[in-house]
Amino acid sequence: MNKKDTYNMFEMDGEMDKKKKKIKKKEKLEGMKKEMDIDDHEITIDELEMRYNTSVSKGMTSIFAQQVLERDGPNELKPPKGTPEYVKFARQLAGGLQCLMWVAAVICFIAFGIEMGRGNLTSFDNLYLAITLIAVVVVTGCFGYYQEFKSTNIIASFKNLVPQQAVVIRDGKKNQINANQLVVGDLVEVKGGDRVPADIRIITAQACKVDNSSLTGESEPQTRSPECTHENPLETRNIAFFSTTCLEGVATGVIINTGDRTIIGRIASLASGVGNEKTPIAIEIEHFVDIIAGLAIFFGFTFFVVAMFIGYAFLEATIFFMAIVVAYVPEGLLATVTVCLSLTAKRLARKNCVVKNLEAVETLGSTSVICSDKTGTLTQNRMTVAHLWFDNHIHAADTTEDQSGQSFDQSSETWRSLARVASLCNRATFKPDQEGIPIPKRLVVGDASETALLKFTELTVGNIMDYRNRFKKVVEVPFNSTNKFQLSIHELEDPLDIRYLLVMKGAPERILERCSTILMKGQELPMDEQWKEAFQTAYMDLGGLGERVLGFCHLYLNDREFPRGYRFDPDEMNFTTSGLCFAGLISMIDPPRATVPDAVMKCRTAGIRVIMVTGDHPITARAIAANVGIITEGSETVEDIALRKRIPVEQVNKRDARACVISGGQLKDMSSEELDEALRNHPEMVFARTSPQQKLIIVESCQRLGSIVAVTGDGVNDSPALKKADIGIAMGIAGSDAAKNAADMILLDDNFASIVTGVEQGRLIFDNLKKSIAYTLTKNIPELTPYLIYITVSVPLPLGCITILFIELATDIFPSVSLAYEKAESDIMHLKPRNPRRDRLVNEALAAYSYFQIGAIESFAGFTDYFTAMAQEGWFPLMCVGLRSQWEDVHLQDLQDSYGQEWTFSQRLYQEYTCYTVFFVSIEICQIFDVIIRKTRRLSVFQQGFFRNRVLVTAIVFQLCLGNLLCYCPGMPNIFNFMPIRVQWWFVPLPYGILIFVYDEIRKLGVRRYPGSWWDQELYY
Amino acid sequence: MATLKEKRTCGQRCEDFGRFVWNSDDGTCMGRTPEKWVYISLYYVAFYVVMTSLFSLAIYVLMYTLDPYRPDYQDRLKSPGVMVWPDTYGEEDIEIFYNTSDKASWMKMSNILHKFLIPYNDTHQHGCNNFNCTQGMYFIQNSFSGPDHTKWACPFMQSMLGNCSGLGDPTFGYNSTMPCVIIKMNRIIDFLPSNHSDRPPYVNCTILDGKDNVDKIEYFPDRGIMDMSYFPYYGKQAQPTYVNPLVAVRFSLVREKQAKIQCQVVSDKISYQNVHDPYEGKVIFYLKAVK
Repeated sequence: MNKKDTYNMFEMDGEMDKKKKKIKKKEKLEGMKKEMDIDDHEITIDELEMRYNTSVSKGMTSIFAQQVLERDGPNELKPPKGTPEYVKFARQLAGGLQCLMWVAAVICFIAFGIEMGRGNLTSFDNLYLAITLIAVVVVTGCFGYYQEFKSTNIIASFKNLVPQQAVVIRDGKKNQINANQLVVGDLVEVKGGDRVPADIRIITAQACKVDNSSLTGESEPQTRSPECTHENPLETRNIAFFSTTCLEGVATGVIINTGDRTIIGRIASLASGVGNEKTPIAIEIEHFVDIIAGLAIFFGFTFFVVAMFIGYAFLEATIFFMAIVVAYVPEGLLATVTVCLSLTAKRLARKNCVVKNLEAVETLGSTSVICSDKTGTLTQNRMTVAHLWFDNHIHAADTTEDQSGQSFDQSSETWRSLARVASLCNRATFKPDQEGIPIPKRLVVGDASETALLKFTELTVGNIMDYRNRFKKVVEVPFNSTNKFQLSIHELEDPLDIRYLLVMKGAPERILERCSTILMKGQELPMDEQWKEAFQTAYMDLGGLGERVLGFCHLYLNDREFPRGYRFDPDEMNFTTSGLCFAGLISMIDPPRATVPDAVMKCRTAGIRVIMVTGDHPITARAIAANVGIITEGSETVEDIALRKRIPVEQVNKRDARACVISGGQLKDMSSEELDEALRNHPEMVFARTSPQQKLIIVESCQRLGSIVAVTGDGVNDSPALKKADIGIAMGIAGSDAAKNAADMILLDDNFASIVTGVEQGRLIFDNLKKSIAYTLTKNIPELTPYLIYITVSVPLPLGCITILFIELATDIFPSVSLAYEKAESDIMHLKPRNPRRDRLVNEALAAYSYFQIGAIESFAGFTDYFTAMAQEGWFPLMCVGLRSQWEDVHLQDLQDSYGQEWTFSQRLYQEYTCYTVFFVSIEICQIFDVIIRKTRRLSVFQQGFFRNRVLVTAIVFQLCLGNLLCYCPGMPNIFNFMPIRVQWWFVPLPYGILIFVYDEIRKLGVRRYPGSWWDQELYY
Repeated sequence: MATLKEKRTCGQRCEDFGRFVWNSDDGTCMGRTPEKWVYISLYYVAFYVVMTSLFSLAIYVLMYTLDPYRPDYQDRLKSPGVMVWPDTYGEEDIEIFYNTSDKASWMKMSNILHKFLIPYNDTHQHGCNNFNCTQGMYFIQNSFSGPDHTKWACPFMQSMLGNCSGLGDPTFGYNSTMPCVIIKMNRIIDFLPSNHSDRPPYVNCTILDGKDNVDKIEYFPDRGIMDMSYFPYYGKQAQPTYVNPLVAVRFSLVREKQAKIQCQVVSDKISYQNVHDPYEGKVIFYLKAVK
C-alpha cells in the first residue's frame, strides 16, 4: 500500500475555519499551521549543522547542549495545564442544583436579616436553613471532589513512570541519558525497539522502520531513510517523530524539535484548545432547575399577592415570598444525585471503566453515536496471521487474543513445508527471559509481519529458536524494496542430507514469478494456468479482506551444483532464485479484539451507531469494519453498487448504499453540509486516513446532527476528538497519556465491550435518577402546603423548618438513593437512545404528577394527621383557623382551647412540636408508599417485585427506625423539636398511603393498556 | 445537541418562552392545545374534588369520635400554668413598673385589673353561679344537675379578694407603694391539684431579688388558698360559667421599691421546676414603683 493518497495532518479546510467561533482557538490553529512550515528535512546536512550548531559526527558540545536545555526546557510533553485543585473543587460547588441552593441560602440570609431588623430575635429558622443549605452544598461538593480525586488517582497510577533513556552523542562520545535532557541539535541513535526520543532528522539509517500508529493510526511500518522524499514533513522519510517506535534497524539523527514543539506535542496541545462540553446530565439538571425555579417564583409570587390581599404588611409578605421560594428547593436532591452517580461510577469501576467526571457516568447512556478509533481500540494493535492459502484452500488461523479459537487442519504435508519456510525465512526473535509469558504477549525484535509469523509458527510448530538452530542458516538476503522478497539458505536438519534448502518469502506476485511448481498435498505439481488462476483468486480474496499477504516458496538446491561449503554471496546472488516451489500464502492483519463484534452488535440493538474513524488505509479499515460488524453483511457502499450494477458511481442513488467509506482525502474536499448529508444517508460509516483535525470535524458534524457522541481512542491523534466528544473514552493500557488526559472515561482493560456495560449503566441511572427525583420532589409539596395554609388560614404552624430538613436530609435520603439499585423495567439495551430534546430527565408530566397529585395526597394526609393530633389534644379544626396570632403570642399564658382549658405559651409550643412530628410521620408514611410506587414507571410493582430491591427494603426499614428514633429518643423535643407522639397517629396517614399506591397502580395500568392515549401523555413521566 | 449547548441569548430565551406560551404552529398554549387544557383542568378538578371530599370525610369521622366534654388526651397539660396580673411585659419578662406620681402610669395597672375582674363581679357571679358550694372539698359531680344539662360551678367573687378586690380601693394600691397583683392558675379538665383534701393549694410568693425592699406580703383570700371546691374543672361544655379561683397578693414596697418576685401555687400535684416552661406552677415578675 503506497502513500498514494496525500494526507496532510494539519490541513485545515476553509469551512472549518469559518465555523470556529472562538477566535483564540482559530489563531492558535493558524499558528500551528504556520509552524508546520519546517524545512529541516529539505536543507542539506551542512545547513542543518549550521542551524543547530552541531556536528553529525561528533554531536553537540555538552556545554552548548546545557545552554540550549536552559533555553528550551526539558524534552517532555508538558501535561496539559491541569485544572488547579481549587478550581476542581469550586466546580463541584457550581453546578445547576448547587447554584439554586446558593441562591436559596442568600435569600435565607436576607430574610433572616429582615427579621433581625424588625427586632424579631426568636426566629433563627432562616439562619439554620441558610447554614444547612451551604453545608449540604459543601459536603456534597467534598464528596464529589473526593470521588473524582480517587478516580484521577487510579488513572494516574497507569501513567508510565519509568524515565525513557536515549543514546546521545555529545563531544564525540556516546552517552546514555534520560530522554528529557535532550535538546535541539543533539545527535541521537535509535535502534529497533526504542521509542523515538524527539522529532529527528535522519542522518544515517540501516533498514530503519518506524511504527507511526500512535501518531496517525496506521499499523503499517514506515521506512525511514536519510533522503528527503516529500516536501511535507509528515510525508517525508527522513524525519522520525517523537513517541513513535522504531521497529527495526538502526538510525542516527539530529533532533529538530523537542518537547511540546514536536508534532505529537502540538496535537496534544490541540486537545487543550477544544472546549469542554457540558454533559447531558448537567443540561438535564439545568432544565430541571429551570422548572423548579419557575414553579418556585410562580408560587412565591402568587402567595405574595395573596398575603398582601389578606392584609399582611409588605415586609411580612416579602418574607413569605422568600420562604416559599426557599421551600421549593429540594435540599436532599443534590446529595441524592451525587450519591446515585457515584454509586454507578463505582459499579463501572468494578467493570474496569474509570470515570473522571461523575456526570459522565450518565453520558454513555444517552450516547447515540460512538466514533471509534480502529487501531488498539477495535483491534489488538498487533499483526497476527489471519489466513493461509495452501492446498488450494483458504485456511483461517486463530486470531483471538487468548488462542481460544478454532485452528485449521495441520495434517497436510504442504503445511509442514509452508511452516518450515515461514519459520526459517524470518529474522525476528523473541526478547530473552520471557518463558512464563503467553506467546502472543511476548516481546519480539523485528517488524510487524515477521513478529506475526514468528508468533504464529511458535504457536503451531513450537520452539522456533531451537528449530532454527537445527536448520543452520548459511546466508540471508534481507528484504528490500526493489526485490520485494527475502530469502535465506539453510543446511538441512538431517546431517546425511547434504542439500541446501533455499526459503523465500515476499510479495506474492514476485514470488509467483519465480516459481515453476506448486505444492499440493505434499506433491510438487507444475505451476500451470489453472493453479495461477487459483493463486490469483486467493490473493485477491485475502487482499480484499484488508490483509497483508505474503507468498512463501522453497527449493532444495542441487547438491552437485551447490555442494557443502559453497560460498553463497548475498550481494551477487550466485545461486538459483527461480524455478522454485510455491508453498502457500500467509496473510496477516491486525485482528479485531474478540469482544468487539459482540459489543458492536449490542450497541446496534441499543440503537447506537458505531462509526469507525481511523488513520489507517480504507481497505484495511473497511475489512475490519466488516469484521466487527460496523459494516454489516449485505451492506454495500456506493462503489459496490456501481460495481454490481456496472454503472458509473455518479448514477448510483446514494440512499441505496447503507455503508460508506470516506477517506481523509475525500473528507478534505467535503463541505460540512456534505459531511452531514453523508452521515445522514449512510447508517454505516467508516472514515479512513483521517487526521486529528478531521476526527474533530466528524465529531462536530455528528453533534450538529443532534447526536450525543462518544469517542474512543488511544493515540495522541485521538485526543482532540476525545476532548470534543460528549464523552471521550480512552484505553487504559494501550492509551497514551494525552488521550487519557483528554478523556472522560478510561477503560482499564482496553475492552471495547466495557462500553456496552457503560451504556447499560448510564441508561439505568438515567431511569433511576428520574425515579429518585420524582420521589424527592413529591415531598416538596407536603412540606410547602403547611406554610401556605399557615399564611392564608392562620393555623398554628403544622410543620417546622428543622423538621423539613430532617425529612430532606436524613430520613428520605436513603430511600431515594436506594432507587438507584432498582433493576431496569424493560430491556433497556433494546431501546433507542433517548432523544435529548424530548426525553428529559424531569419533564412537565413528572413535575405535575409528583407535585400536584401524589404531593397533594401527601399534604392531605399530613393535614388529616395534624388536625387529628390537634383535636385530640383539645384544639378543634375550626378553632385552629385564625388562631395563629394568639397561639404565637409569647405573652399570652392562658389561651383557651376548645374545651376551655388554658395553655401557657410553652405548652402550646410543645403542642406545635407535636404537630410537626405528626406531620413528619405522615410524610414519612406516605413517602414509604411513594418509594414503592416509584420503583416502576410503567410496570406494576407486582410485576417488578416488592422485595427484589433489597436495598430499598432496607432503606424503608431504616427510614422507619430513624423516624422512631427521632420521635422517641429522650431530649429530642428541645433539640430538634420532635415529640414522642401517640402511636395511633402513625396510622392516620396509612389510608392515604394506600390510596397513593392504588392510584399509581391505576395510572400504570392505564399507561400500559392505552399507550399513546391522553392518559399516557399526561400521566406517564 | 449543538443548539442545546449553545449559550442562548436573553432574546432567544424570551423568544423560546414566547413560543412556549403560544405556539401558533400547532396551536398550543403553554404546551397544550386549548382542548387539552380543558381536559387536564377537568381531570384536576375531579381529582381535587375527590381528595377534598375524602379529607372532609376524614375530618368528619375525627369530629364524630371526639368527646364534647373532655379531650382525648392532655399530654401537654400535666400541670397547670400560672399567670400574674397586671400582665405587662417588658422585653422578655413580666415587669410591673409604675409611677405613683404619674396617674396615667398607675391607672394603666389598675385598669388592667378592673378589666380582668369583670367576670368576677359579685352580682354577675351571683347571677350565673348561684350555687352554694361546700368549702374545703373537691366538688365532684358525676351527673349533669345544673341548668341546660350542665354542671354547677362554684362562684368566685371579686369581694373575696378583700383589700385587693378593687372595690374599696379602686387603685389596687397603685397610687401608693402597696400594689396588689392577682395570681391565676390555668384550668385543666379533671385536674385535682392535691391528693390530700385537707391541704388545699395556696399561693406562696418569695422575693428572689431585693428582699430588703419588700416589707410585707399579704394574701387574699386568707393564706392565699384556692379552695378545693373549685376543682375539678369539667370543661367549657359542662361548666360554661366556671371561673378560676384567684389569689391577690399585696406587697409593701420600701427603700428602693423594686423586687423580683416568684409566686408559686403550692400543692403536691403541681410541678414548678420545668425549665422549659417558666409559667408552669409559678410566675416570676419584676415589681417596681417609682415616685
